[in-house]
Amino acid sequence: MFEHLGAAVEATFTLANLVALVFGTLVGIVVGILPGIGPMVGMVVLLPFTFSLHPDVALSLLLGVFCGGYFGGGIPAVLMRTPGVPSSLITSFDGFPLTQQGRAQTGLSAVLMGSFSGGIISVFILIFLAPLLAHVAASFGPPEYFSAGLFGVTLVVMAYRHRLGQGLLLLGLGLWISTVGIDGPTLVPRYCFGTLAMQNGLHIVPVCLGLFGIGQSLLLLERRILQSETMSLTRRTLDFSQLKVTLKYWRTLIRSGVIGTFVGLLPGTGSILASFMSYEAAKRASKRPQDFGRGTPEGCLAAEAGNNAVPAGAMIPLLTLGIPGEALSAVLLGVFTINGIYPGPLLLIKEPVLINTLYLSMLLINLAAFAMLALWLRPFAMIVRVSNTALAAVIMVVSLVGIYAVNTRLFDAGLAVAMGVLGYVLLRLEWPIVNLVMGVVLGEILEQRLRESLSIAEGNPIIFLTRPISLSLIVATALIVVVPLWLDRRRARLTARESAEV
Amino acid sequence: MTGPVASESKVHDLLSVVLGGLAAGVLISSPWQVDTSGPYPFYKGALIFPLLVLSLMVLASLPAVCRLLSPPAGASWRLDGAGAPSRPLMILGCLVAYLIGLRLVGLEISALLFLAGSLYLLGHRSVLTLVGVPLIVTGVVAVIFKYLLQVYFPAPLLFDWLWG
Repeated sequence: MFEHLGAAVEATFTLANLVALVFGTLVGIVVGILPGIGPMVGMVVLLPFTFSLHPDVALSLLLGVFCGGYFGGGIPAVLMRTPGVPSSLITSFDGFPLTQQGRAQTGLSAVLMGSFSGGIISVFILIFLAPLLAHVAASFGPPEYFSAGLFGVTLVVMAYRHRLGQGLLLLGLGLWISTVGIDGPTLVPRYCFGTLAMQNGLHIVPVCLGLFGIGQSLLLLERRILQSETMSLTRRTLDFSQLKVTLKYWRTLIRSGVIGTFVGLLPGTGSILASFMSYEAAKRASKRPQDFGRGTPEGCLAAEAGNNAVPAGAMIPLLTLGIPGEALSAVLLGVFTINGIYPGPLLLIKEPVLINTLYLSMLLINLAAFAMLALWLRPFAMIVRVSNTALAAVIMVVSLVGIYAVNTRLFDAGLAVAMGVLGYVLLRLEWPIVNLVMGVVLGEILEQRLRESLSIAEGNPIIFLTRPISLSLIVATALIVVVPLWLDRRRARLTARESAEV
Repeated sequence: MTGPVASESKVHDLLSVVLGGLAAGVLISSPWQVDTSGPYPFYKGALIFPLLVLSLMVLASLPAVCRLLSPPAGASWRLDGAGAPSRPLMILGCLVAYLIGLRLVGLEISALLFLAGSLYLLGHRSVLTLVGVPLIVTGVVAVIFKYLLQVYFPAPLLFDWLWG
């Protein structure tokens, strides 16, 4: 595993890679601090810039935004009770009471230490777990890959089962979008509606940038986000003496990092669950559970360590099976495939330098984010005062030019505007937009594996049930559909009976 | 986006029906949209996956069709109480104009006009914001894309028409 470490260290410490990861982290922290923006917008806005970059540099840039966003999200949660990213909501339970007690520095130290530890622990789990999973996946053929992909998308759909029909519709739409254009194996144009522009397909960049960059910006224009003018920090930097206080809770840090990594590993679960589960576990294990919710640094530590462990956790199924767990890692998968790199068990064998560079970059990103926030705490905290509406307009300008720049086609920019409208509608209706992105990114892979599997079996779909791993995955897929629905129904029946008795 | 989304709002069902209807239309027109005359059998061909996907979409929209035809008690068209999306619509209009402007008057002028116009429409009145932000952002965008990344932008059509 470590024989390529020398080459990876060399690749990690090139100027281009260091600049990319520091810049990505900086952008990530900024978009994480800004409520309503988030790392997804940062990633998709930077996506067009990655085309001219080497794959490892491009991934460092986007991973910087991914991890930096989670670091930044905790700052406004502590200072203003406004989570920068949704998962930092849990951080605000104890962070804001600490600020009210005049102990903002303690809360922020806990946020930074929690984020840093969660990030580092999860990268180490990724380093040791990914090869094990890849070893299992090395025996996969097309039917197993298809079944694993089906299992992944089903997990995501079922994670939003309160919107099951809508989730399926969006997944279907995403999968269909991935089929538009010239079909690779047969060279037949599909769903081009007689236009030449559509023969190149509906590229992932305008689709994602439109849905998230433009869609989220349009939504931001009508959102009332709390902006505090009273927020102040007495020191420009972090009070490093407070870090010692947080180190007392080393057990919580390790436990939360592990929980966050394993929650991140499961597609569709998301960072809020990681944060919440880590917080609850810390509360249960604490000698003073009554302090939780009233301002204990342990609560902030647990929540942040949990949510910051998610990015590395999400990389495990992405790197070993090529299955992204949520929208952010789906965009990373897009970067891989655009560069002709297809994640899967062979990736760890074929591209050991790239993988080791990725691990080292993730460690450095956590270090960079911690150092940046610790040294420039007050300037970063002041970012929340930037006008959201002005920011939305700027994001739209940069997004559209960026999309055009990828293929120098105005069609792509028009497509992004159309996707922006769809994104706005879906975000406002709170439909699970992640299903659409999963469909677009995974569509090509699923279709290819399905056709290969059917070709092996000469058209007989029974092949998926005749191979043990594929059969296990199909059974697991059926179970994750049936069991939660059955449990929901049972719960609803019990609630109805109880309310009837009352 | 204030207040919770009313799950019984018929707007959700309407959008599901629209998406399902579009999928049904595309599904029906598939034999004309995809050439299947090649040597490949159906299971290896270009049509099998889109047919499965479009059928999934149509099936997923059927419950919404039923609910829209016979709405459950308490169903209404009220969505979230946030009102009509006037601001997003205004800015969307500006965005479309910006897109056309890219071809018509070029990157710099269209970006400047879009930013100044949209900031004004969004309620900014400070001269510094209305002039400074567009100038800085346009400058940075032009330098990065035109000069650093050397992205080709077509000659503005309007200038072609005026000065040949």
